[in-house]
Amino acid sequence: MESLFVQLLVIGIKILVILGVVLGLGAYLTLVERKVAAHIQRRPGPMVVGWHGLLQPLADGLKLITKEDIFPRAGNRFLYNLALVLALVPAVLVFAVVPFGPEFEVFGVKVKPILTDVNVGLLLVFALGSMAVYAIALAGWASNSKYALIGSMRKAGIIVSYEVVITFAVMGPVILAGTLSTYEIVQQQINQKLWYIWLQPIAFVVYMFAMLAETGRVPFDIQEAEAELVTGFTVEYGGIKFGLFPLVEWYVEVLSLSAIAVVLFLGGWSPINIPFLGFIDPLFFLGPLSPFVWFILKVALLFLFVLWLHWTLPRYRIDQITETAWKVMLPLTFVNLVLTAVLAPIVWR
Amino acid sequence: MMQWIAFLFFASMTLLSALGVVFLSNIIYVILSLLSTLVMVAGIFFVAGAELVGALQLLIYAVAIAVFYVLVLTAVPWEKALKKDSHYRIEGVLTFPILLAFYLEIILVFLLGVSVSPKGQIREFIQNLGNTQVVGSILFSKYFFAFELVSLVLLVGMIGAVIVGRKEDKTYEDSTS
Repeated sequence: MESLFVQLLVIGIKILVILGVVLGLGAYLTLVERKVAAHIQRRPGPMVVGWHGLLQPLADGLKLITKEDIFPRAGNRFLYNLALVLALVPAVLVFAVVPFGPEFEVFGVKVKPILTDVNVGLLLVFALGSMAVYAIALAGWASNSKYALIGSMRKAGIIVSYEVVITFAVMGPVILAGTLSTYEIVQQQINQKLWYIWLQPIAFVVYMFAMLAETGRVPFDIQEAEAELVTGFTVEYGGIKFGLFPLVEWYVEVLSLSAIAVVLFLGGWSPINIPFLGFIDPLFFLGPLSPFVWFILKVALLFLFVLWLHWTLPRYRIDQITETAWKVMLPLTFVNLVLTAVLAPIVWR
Repeated sequence: MMQWIAFLFFASMTLLSALGVVFLSNIIYVILSLLSTLVMVAGIFFVAGAELVGALQLLIYAVAIAVFYVLVLTAVPWEKALKKDSHYRIEGVLTFPILLAFYLEIILVFLLGVSVSPKGQIREFIQNLGNTQVVGSILFSKYFFAFELVSLVLLVGMIGAVIVGRKEDKTYEDSTS
């Protein structure tokens, strides 16, 4: 009985930590984004609220919450609100299968820093990740506005194309690891002394493309397209409801897909890798904390890379985006799949 | 105990949303209850311990297939979506016997499948290997011929879609003249 209680307690703590970290961090990443964007464009960015604008997200949140909640006259209120829930829930649920570090012991209780280590974790990630399309399609339809509808149609087209691509791209690491569980994939990379990016550079590049497309980041932000669609499917949303969509799409989803990229290609929580020889850990002085720091460091680097692209590149046209997916990305992933099948016995030896 | 509660929850939700698919009048609500049905069926698979099938149910049915319905239906203007009467009443009545025959066939196939499915022989197998490997090894040994046949059908469908969707050099008016 006591062990059951302890287990429930551990699960509860994990859920609270994940929710707190994801939503809190999501809010603060708006500040990071604004600062990075500002420095790319050689201006200081938010400086007024707090030291170097450190309290800016709180001020933004306060402003959004106190705004009037406007609703379009001919819209559908139930679906309009349901779209918000459908956007937030799957995006946060993805973190249930993200492993943050190796197993450790607290007060004699073994704790895996992952909420549920299911055998098919990776499939769940992509199933939940692409549920976002329903939120956007519903938001566009329920708003009853042309801009919103065009934006949501574009997003649906992109997701349909890139969902296929991303699933085939991750097959490479799955073949090398021989498992679909996210925790086991990292463990396999540590055992084989190999980050899969060294054998899967094509898959990694394709994955990054698909990640940008799924999260609607530049150069694939065609469903928002500020210049022509005035932020697309969110155009009829106001106040905190408007704030929620970019929070989910641009921050929570980018974070979760970056974390999955780190798990699949960059060895999760393992330190710097020399292929087939071993690992070098310049952060050894942190002791048992070092794996967690490595994981956070890698995710942060990928996130900054996405920001860097966002504020540097122009936008593709919708037909160019889908054409790249079907005619370039998908054949590339097939080539990669065949190459991986040939290479896999070397890794397994 | 927990399993039963979870199963009852998922099963009743499946039935409720399936009824919604039939009886709701707004087509967007219909497609949402279809989505809910598919997700709840995935839940039943998870409760039964078939993790791979559950995840594939989510990935293929709830996302890849339902998204096409959503894509088409969201392009329908909202006044038309609220229309109460159906255009195809007579056709619906006429096809009813055929539909009934199809359902009878499904029930028959289901009963036949239950009677020949292995009872407890693969349980040991699953404990040793895990869900995904078991499905793979059974698919590529016992049902290999059926598997290849299905992939051939899919290949034919794909080639057909490419041919239908490709741009023509000449329009049909040109070829007839």
